[in-house]
Amino acid sequence: MKKKLVTVTASVLVLSSVLSACGGGNKENNASPSASPAASPSTSASPSEAASPAPVERFDVSLRHIQIGELQKFRKAILDEVVQKAEAEVPGANFEMDAVEDSFNRWTKLPAEMAAGNPPKIFDLFGGPGDGQKFARANKLLDLTPILDELGIKEQFTDYSTFVVDGKVYGLPIGAGSEGWFYNKEILDANGIAIPKTLDELEAAFETLKGKGITPIAMGSQAAWVPFMLLNTLIPRYAGEDIQAGVANGSRKMTEPEVVAALAKYKEWVDKGYFTKGELGIDYTGQTNEFVAGKAGFLFDGTWRVSTFNADGVGGALNGKVGYIAMPAVPGGKGDQSAVNYNQNNGYGFSADVNDNEKAAIKAFIKHLYTEEYQVRGFQEDGVLPSMKVDASKLTSDNPIMQQVLATNAAAGKVFPHFDSLVPGTVNGEFEKQIQNLIAGKATPEKAAEEIQKAMDAELAALK
Amino acid sequence: MNKTLRNPYVYLLFVLPTLGLYGLFFVYPVLQSVFYGLTNWDGLTPAKYTGLDNFVKAFNDEDFWISVKNNMYFILFSLFVQVPLIILFSLLISGVKRLQGFYKTTVFLPSILSTSIIGILWGFMYHPSIGLFNNFLGWFGLEPIYWLSDTKWAMLSILVTNAWQWMGFYIVLVLAAILAIPKEINEAAEIDGATGFQRAYRITTPLIMPVISVVVMLSIAGAMRVVDIVLVMTNGGPAGATEVMASYMVNKALRYGQYGYGTALSIMIFVIALLLTAIYQIVFARRQERIEY
Repeated sequence: MKKKLVTVTASVLVLSSVLSACGGGNKENNASPSASPAASPSTSASPSEAASPAPVERFDVSLRHIQIGELQKFRKAILDEVVQKAEAEVPGANFEMDAVEDSFNRWTKLPAEMAAGNPPKIFDLFGGPGDGQKFARANKLLDLTPILDELGIKEQFTDYSTFVVDGKVYGLPIGAGSEGWFYNKEILDANGIAIPKTLDELEAAFETLKGKGITPIAMGSQAAWVPFMLLNTLIPRYAGEDIQAGVANGSRKMTEPEVVAALAKYKEWVDKGYFTKGELGIDYTGQTNEFVAGKAGFLFDGTWRVSTFNADGVGGALNGKVGYIAMPAVPGGKGDQSAVNYNQNNGYGFSADVNDNEKAAIKAFIKHLYTEEYQVRGFQEDGVLPSMKVDASKLTSDNPIMQQVLATNAAAGKVFPHFDSLVPGTVNGEFEKQIQNLIAGKATPEKAAEEIQKAMDAELAALK
Repeated sequence: MNKTLRNPYVYLLFVLPTLGLYGLFFVYPVLQSVFYGLTNWDGLTPAKYTGLDNFVKAFNDEDFWISVKNNMYFILFSLFVQVPLIILFSLLISGVKRLQGFYKTTVFLPSILSTSIIGILWGFMYHPSIGLFNNFLGWFGLEPIYWLSDTKWAMLSILVTNAWQWMGFYIVLVLAAILAIPKEINEAAEIDGATGFQRAYRITTPLIMPVISVVVMLSIAGAMRVVDIVLVMTNGGPAGATEVMASYMVNKALRYGQYGYGTALSIMIFVIALLLTAIYQIVFARRQERIEY
């Protein structure tokens, strides 16, 4: 009896150790070269092989980007070129491109990877306390300060403050963008509407278009960051260009009457039916498509959308028929009424968990991507405003929309950022929730402002 | 060998690997969840013990209870719309003499499609301007409905799509049970003068009650863990109108980095599931009688 029991136990042990040995061997075989860059010398290597130069060990560098689809094709082309150059410079480097949709990467995939400790080596990253700064504080991001010093490009950036924690740089903005009104000249002309210069004229244009059965403003609010762009400009028009920074540091409140007035104006436009019908079920692409199809008179979007209306862009049908204006001044609005939104909060971040090979590849990637050449190309091909100091004489454009963008920005006395680059993620989330509630009629402007302030107060209290 | 099998330790030895796996993949994560549910943890920095704060917050979290209510809609829709329709379609298909295989395959087809495909397919049907439903309404001069954008209609739209996806699977289950009933019983009833309806209501349905009970249980379980169809069709929108417990929990944990709170929510969901299982046991399972033909 005992003997049999011992036999059975021994068999189980032998079997399990054999199986685990198989598993271990397999794991070793699958280990990426990047994890073990040192090649083990083969004992059977012939003398001639030993004499030849050491073969370069290939290693993978994962690169997460958000340049998906036709709308992003110009930016993807630049990225591909940069990757090629970096691969040529660093022997053995193989960049593994991983394309993920912007919102999904920002809100779901990257945070989950950060928590699990396995983010890609290079990834699209937003700055601010809800994104880059949070990850940097948790030691998940590579400190880029030494690399920037070595490459001598630290002073070339106009502003990377949303990626800085304790004086160290953890991310680099790839470009900048302003947000304003795109309009369809053809629709405006056909309906006898002059390009609006005041808020009254803008609202009169909305009313005329609505009366003619044309959607005044193309809007896709399924993801709340889309309508947030318009509110992010409307709020500083009423409450002053320092409102974002003020709310973030606690010196200003969302419940101030001017902020509530901005929310009320937005709600008024919703109630008057100026936005796309059923906007809460339409996504960002749907919004662009509606404007491109010539079904809406206005579109509030970022300057990165300019290239869409190039002859070879997705909205080529509207080539030469689109114009751009800043948000007009609002009567009784606080602060500089010519101020424009200017964001440089999106770019690339890098994992802190890298070996020497990967670090070299990252350095080459930064060296080739953050150059005047690509900053200018991004501007000319794609309407991405530069995030680096670029020779102003090179920032000229034949694109009439881009010329309007430049003129608008040049006329602006001041700039203001986006709330999401300054407030914590939970406050940004509450903001987005309340915007959708406002659109759905589930919240009044006062209630929405109160709820956002409550979330901000909780964050400020937690900091103390 | 017989002697060996009489030794209780041998059985323990055989059970050990399973117990080990069960402990590793079920008991340990559950205990860990309970621990993290009692902390303020952002997934990045060390967790801070906060006692029952997360649970107190969850009880006062209006949005969470809206998501719970939405899961309840799924359960109620399953029980009072889906299950009766499943029985009806099963009875109809079982009575079909020709092309029964074709009908079986047709109704089963949606359940082998991926949820993403179903979401896109139905997204087109619900489309405000080119969608099938609004075209249909247009024939009668009715205004288009914004099925997935209107807070009043979005939940119903998803419930219908979800029902379409899963009904076929359950119909095949119930159909198998109906076809397993000996023909003599129905023939005897027919000879005694029972009508088709009487046979379906008085004979077939009671005889397939064990399977219906399973269908009810699976429907409740499915409704509790529903999330994919919501993410594909509305992503919890419009304005949180279709948010379900699972999507709300994932959102809180990943999007806002509130892993501690998210874990507390997962424990609450677990408790709600336990309560519903208890109710199911009392209402359905205990009343089951063993049916012998």
